[in-house]
Amino acid sequence: MFEIHRNANGELTFAGRLDASQAEKARKALDAVAESCTIDFAGLEYISSAGLGILLATQKRLSESGQCVRLAHLNRHIRDIFHIAGFDLVFEIE
Amino acid sequence: MDKNFKRDIRSLDGVFEFVERFADTHGIDEATSFSMKLAAEELFTNFVRHNTGGREHILISLDVQDDRLIIRLKDFDVDAIDFEQETPPDVHLPLGERHVGGLGIHLVKSMFDSLTYDYTNRILCVTAVKNLEDTHV
Repeated sequence: MFEIHRNANGELTFAGRLDASQAEKARKALDAVAESCTIDFAGLEYISSAGLGILLATQKRLSESGQCVRLAHLNRHIRDIFHIAGFDLVFEIE
Repeated sequence: MDKNFKRDIRSLDGVFEFVERFADTHGIDEATSFSMKLAAEELFTNFVRHNTGGREHILISLDVQDDRLIIRLKDFDVDAIDFEQETPPDVHLPLGERHVGGLGIHLVKSMFDSLTYDYTNRILCVTAVKNLEDTHV
């Protein structure tokens, strides 16, 4: 199960498991993002390369207009994945 | 512990349940369980996407032997996938030079102590091994 919500501050929240079977859902949500935003990962338990690819594509697209994705509240396993993938170098992580 | 899965991305829910049940049964810690799920998903999705002509189910085997965790996936009657020829991504490149994709095998190789491939009689077998000496099993 993977869920995406937008809170009152305009932040996106990801929850559950972002695996290859859920990647299209994440892609559709992030394709609609046109300005800098924060994605709260507090409820996200798991992410694989499918989700990482969508995040990276979004960051590259937004950077072309001076915008960016910021990420917050990553659990320690996802932090490890981000470090291995070098995503801690291309994302602002709160 | 072995189980066959239909070669469909929608099988991933079952793959995760299978891995979680094995991890619970063997008292595997949360970090290792996360690595197991990641390896199972990345290898399974590689099989599904690279061998679109395959008709057989994909066999996933999980085992613990001599403080080593072993994840093995077998794909039957398929063409070879040359994982060894995949160029590892440069994860230190700046954002503008990063390529989207190619991270799955890199993640598995980084989280496991070995990742080996065998292709014999049209059976593709990939085995990931993780040393559990430093974990609580």
